[in-house]
Amino acid sequence: MHLVAMAAGFALILMGLFAALTHRNILRMIVGFTLANTGVHVVLVSVGYMPGRAAPILDDAVPVAEAAARIIDPVPQALVLTAIVIGLGITALMLAYAYRLFRARGSLDIADYTELKW
Amino acid sequence: MNTRFSIRHAAVLGLLALLGLAFWTLLAGYTPDAELNRTAAYYAENTARETGAQNIVTAIIVTYRGLDTLGEVTVLFLTAAIVALVLGQSKAPRGGTGSGFLPSGELLTTGTRMLLPIILLFGAYVALNGHLTPGGGFQGGAILASGMLLMLLADPARRFGHRLIARVESVSGLAYVAIGVLGVALAGGFLDNRILPLGEFGAILSAGAIPLIYALVGLKVGAEFSSMLESLEETEDS
Amino acid sequence: MVSAIFIIAAGLGAGFLIGLLREDQKGAAFTVALAALGFMAWVSVSWFVALASGTAAPQDIITAGTQPPFAINLRMGLAEAGLLSVITLTGLLSLVYMAPALRALGRRALAVLVILVMALSGLVLTRDIFNLFVFFELVVIATGGLVLLSDDKRAVAAGFKYLVVSQIVGILLLIGIIFVYHANGSLNIDDIAAQPMGFTGAGLALFLLLIALVVELKPFPANGWALDIYEAAHPGVSALVSAASATAALYAADKLFAAAGPDWLPLATVLGLVSFLGANLLGLAQRNDRRLLGYSSIGQIGLVLVVVGQRDILGDAYLYVAGGILFTHAVAKAGLYWISGLVPGRDLADWAVLRTNPVLLFAFAGFIAMLLGLPPFAGFYAKWDLAHALAGADRLPVLGLVLLGALIEAGYLFRWFGFALKRPNPVAFPGFSTTGFAVVLAALAGGWGLGFVWGAGSVHGNLLLAAPLLFALAFLVLEPLPAWAKNLLAIAGLLGWVGFRAPGYDPLHLVFALVMLAGGAVILLASFAVKGERFGFYPSAMVMYAGLALLIDAQTSFQFFAAWELLTIGSYFLILRGKESEPHALSYILFSLGGAFAILAGFALASGGLQPFALDNLAAIAEAGLPLAPWVFLLLAIGFLTKTASVGFHIWLPGAHAEAETDVSPMVSGILLKAGLFGLWLLLMHMGRQSLFGVDLTYLLVWIGALSAFIGAVLAIFQEDAKRLLAYSSISQMGYALFGLALMNHLGWLLALMFVINHYVYKSMLFLAIGGVKERTHTKLMYKMGGLITIMPFTFVSVLVGIIAMSGVPPLSGFGGRWVFYNAIMSSEMRLPVVLIFMSGPIAFLYLFRLIHTIFLGQLKDEHRKLKEASGWLLAPQMIFVAFLIGFAILPGMVLQRVDAYIGGHFGSTALAWSGRSITSEFGYWNPVAIMIVIGVIFVIVLALLVAMNRNAQKVKQFNIVFSAERPFKPQTTHFAWNFFAPYRKALGFLEAPHVTRFWGGITDSLHASADFTRRIYTGNGQTYAAQVIVFVVAVYLVVLGGVS
Repeated sequence: MHLVAMAAGFALILMGLFAALTHRNILRMIVGFTLANTGVHVVLVSVGYMPGRAAPILDDAVPVAEAAARIIDPVPQALVLTAIVIGLGITALMLAYAYRLFRARGSLDIADYTELKW
Repeated sequence: MNTRFSIRHAAVLGLLALLGLAFWTLLAGYTPDAELNRTAAYYAENTARETGAQNIVTAIIVTYRGLDTLGEVTVLFLTAAIVALVLGQSKAPRGGTGSGFLPSGELLTTGTRMLLPIILLFGAYVALNGHLTPGGGFQGGAILASGMLLMLLADPARRFGHRLIARVESVSGLAYVAIGVLGVALAGGFLDNRILPLGEFGAILSAGAIPLIYALVGLKVGAEFSSMLESLEETEDS
Repeated sequence: MVSAIFIIAAGLGAGFLIGLLREDQKGAAFTVALAALGFMAWVSVSWFVALASGTAAPQDIITAGTQPPFAINLRMGLAEAGLLSVITLTGLLSLVYMAPALRALGRRALAVLVILVMALSGLVLTRDIFNLFVFFELVVIATGGLVLLSDDKRAVAAGFKYLVVSQIVGILLLIGIIFVYHANGSLNIDDIAAQPMGFTGAGLALFLLLIALVVELKPFPANGWALDIYEAAHPGVSALVSAASATAALYAADKLFAAAGPDWLPLATVLGLVSFLGANLLGLAQRNDRRLLGYSSIGQIGLVLVVVGQRDILGDAYLYVAGGILFTHAVAKAGLYWISGLVPGRDLADWAVLRTNPVLLFAFAGFIAMLLGLPPFAGFYAKWDLAHALAGADRLPVLGLVLLGALIEAGYLFRWFGFALKRPNPVAFPGFSTTGFAVVLAALAGGWGLGFVWGAGSVHGNLLLAAPLLFALAFLVLEPLPAWAKNLLAIAGLLGWVGFRAPGYDPLHLVFALVMLAGGAVILLASFAVKGERFGFYPSAMVMYAGLALLIDAQTSFQFFAAWELLTIGSYFLILRGKESEPHALSYILFSLGGAFAILAGFALASGGLQPFALDNLAAIAEAGLPLAPWVFLLLAIGFLTKTASVGFHIWLPGAHAEAETDVSPMVSGILLKAGLFGLWLLLMHMGRQSLFGVDLTYLLVWIGALSAFIGAVLAIFQEDAKRLLAYSSISQMGYALFGLALMNHLGWLLALMFVINHYVYKSMLFLAIGGVKERTHTKLMYKMGGLITIMPFTFVSVLVGIIAMSGVPPLSGFGGRWVFYNAIMSSEMRLPVVLIFMSGPIAFLYLFRLIHTIFLGQLKDEHRKLKEASGWLLAPQMIFVAFLIGFAILPGMVLQRVDAYIGGHFGSTALAWSGRSITSEFGYWNPVAIMIVIGVIFVIVLALLVAMNRNAQKVKQFNIVFSAERPFKPQTTHFAWNFFAPYRKALGFLEAPHVTRFWGGITDSLHASADFTRRIYTGNGQTYAAQVIVFVVAVYLVVLGGVS
């Protein structure tokens, strides 16, 4: 079933968000977002998938002339790579921030950082 | 950590259920294409001719959507720079970094010595063959950085030349931009890979500037990950 | 032209190059950043100039040598070039501004800044949705990095919250992008436009994409994270976020809304309105300057989103309107954040430190005016066109809400300016950083430049080329001159302009021109009394006079409205100069702007969106009997009534007039009030009687006039403060004039006109006289004075003449007014208002005689024995007025006859017969000369009698007071003049209860309370913010879904 991957992706997103919105520990929130990002990547890839076709690499198995009929959509695969790298960048940045916050206050509870409000 | 079920949890659950409704609508309305859409079809038919790359995904990443990739590399560059800034401002007390670690075991040290060249070689291979096989600069760079990670694990007190890493990172970035600009001057536009001959389809030195760009990306990504790992490692509390 | 791709290449190249430098080569790193940003700005500006002047065509830039949609393409059009200019210039100035902080953080921070500007440029240029996502994430990461520049420890937490929300936005964006791609087979924005998607199926993907972009705009209420960034980040970063990032993000959203098609525009409108109103409302409760600016930014971006939602009706004017608001906002907000970096304290009142540098104060005022869309800035033209488009398309609720939001924003911005000007300056201040100062000046110059460019592009002509305004602005440059030189120039300018323009005016316009401009010159004589530079007075006063001059000249609704706004701004600054005037100036500007918005709405409605709209066309609308005609009438009338301070809208006047400076009170009372009458006159002349729901609106005006006349007079009698007394009397007098106008007959109008002249003369005279007394005695409270007749005889004479003229007893011109007035009301059918008006006459006498009785007669206070007569310069105009009053009393025909004929032409009647020196109406005749002689004879006889009987008078010793065994509980109660009319107070005191003040106070209080309550949704918890974003998205989704099904 082609939809299984996509459904799993969406489920991952929701699970990740649930974790990010309910765990007050900053590190757990970051893990939640990582999970959600993974879900997004799964959804991205699953959109390009077409049953019964090959990877978009033009080697002996898939000659150039037949490519259009034999390969799956390569665009989501290209996009997902970019998305992964960007997600990684943001995660790294969040971790660095978490460290910095922890150094300053000795707490990883998001509810402890509410001096700025209203 | 308090994990008991609370009103807050219920509210979030309800909220996500509604968001899930939107996702469900997307999922239910989704039917996979029977044929490639026009963009994908264009790539399927013209990639080989236009870029000379076997791996269509690579051609898209490096050439057709090269601007994205340049942005992506910049994301890593920025992240590395900012992580260094964030962590640089709150260094652990001097003398404490890493020195408190027990030396790693004989097994890890020897294993590292043995594996490291292979890892680096594999990383270079993956990066350079991106236009032919699955893989590419990002994957290769990540593999290179994993070698770095292994070294850090084996010898936590070890320091690489920050300067060298920064140089590799910046020079490869500059070269990437320069190749892009050459595309404007010599070929059809920014990041056009046809500034070099396309070569023989399927050969290692083919697909114009793609292998070159992917080599640079590999170096850059490897350097950036290494620099991030180092920044993180230097903050290690003893 | 240099291709726009090099903006991106230069930004990236510089970023990487800086990475190559050693940590200690900070100078070199800075130079590289400066060169890169300078280059990017140069490319952008040269494109903008070329595209705007038509010497270059828009350019599509392809990458990878492949046509879109198969490769990413960029576009450089006029909008892009303008946005890039704003973004890159902001980046360049930010670099200079933040140089010390950036150096402290190291070369990496420089690279981050350059890459941020590059990414923002990419956001503007790209035509590919996934590329848009990449640039967005670059912006997020770079912003997250620059937040670290702040000294504020809380900035890190703010940065983390920002990243949390960005994660959610990123998720939504990616899901949206991939499903849009699936539906469309393309990632190119132009392809999405080619295949419009409805709301179902693929439309949901588009919705996710759009809502993610909207969330990036920090919409109210899902924007707590953004406010934290604005508050905690380095002000230079906040300037970038507000001016450059928000601008770029808005354009990104605009590109997709354009592509999504007209079905989606209401979404932008509604979300924009919610944001504009909500953010501005919450801004009311803010005391932290940077957070307040954050609220304002969110509001303004919401406003532009509203404009995005109107692109279907704006047509060709879209870029002009959206750009006018967006660019002005960017410049003003960057400027304000940059100033905030120069101010050491974070409370709004800490901006009082700006008083040490007049240029910064001027910049502050300018930026506020830009934000509010006041003339002559670009936002003004945009606001005008927007209002007309909305009215033309019948989107009146949108128009109403936009104006309401703007009024709330004006509330907190002007309150803030009042703080800066009036609050004590707490610290000894070392001085402002020179670079920071220069950067602020650059922003200011940019704002004025935009105003000029937008003016040049306007069909209505450039306000910055209008001679009176230029003349007024010239006084900014002349500020270092001594006050007397500037005064001379101002008088010459006013008289010269009247002399130049007068020949072309009809008698009615001529009377107003003479009263407002020549009259202004006479009052300015009194200003010679002030020594020194008198900083800020002349630009403000001359902007007001420029507004008045342009108002009389106005042919179209635009000219009229622009002039109206100018005179409002000028007079606001003028009123604010008074010592205790901070709250009064604020309520003045709020009522005035509220009125101005009513006028704007009225004109927009009348024109039906077609511009330019000649004022004469109002008549055509009235004649056509369109259903909107009475509404136009009502809106315009409300606008004008706020200026004449008619009852209900009067609460700003007493304080504003009483607390103003000595020579300012007559200007704002004697002259400024007439602007409202002038407007009413034009309105009634063109539109005549209008009925709404069966009520004749002129009948309503008659009532308002009569009530104003009566209540103003009653309130005046209870005042202890002499200037307040005069101020309340103005309300009453304006009521008379309004009453006369609204009678809609020949004599009524003549009456109103006599009031225009008379009120100017005697109110100016009395304010100058009382002001002179106040300057000598240092009090305005009448019971603290007494017996000044021997010390200030000339002032006494002018007060005496003034109150004789004003109370309408023979022989002075007030009597003439009364005479015309009685004739006018005899021909009126309305009994009750007539009774009220009649009663106000004697009441006026009750308060007027106190001015003589309490101040000049009675015992001289010990502390006043050594006082001198008021300055000669104050007396000079008063003596001119005395001469005029006597002359006008003897020869009223000089002025009135021509006007009478003119009015007669309008009504087709001749109510008065002018023969020789006497005037005849159907009820009787008036011979001024004979009256003067009779009164003179009576006066001489009475005087002789008094002199003859003077020796019978008994001298009363100073402490010979009798209190009937009552013990005074306050010192002032021993003074006979204190609470003089206590018996009347028992009878009429209920009228004194501040019902109207309570009403308006209740509105502002409830606004404040709801703002203070609502802003508690911003708990400061990053997780809550994240949940709020999802709630926002889900709620909008459900509403959109509900709206469709």
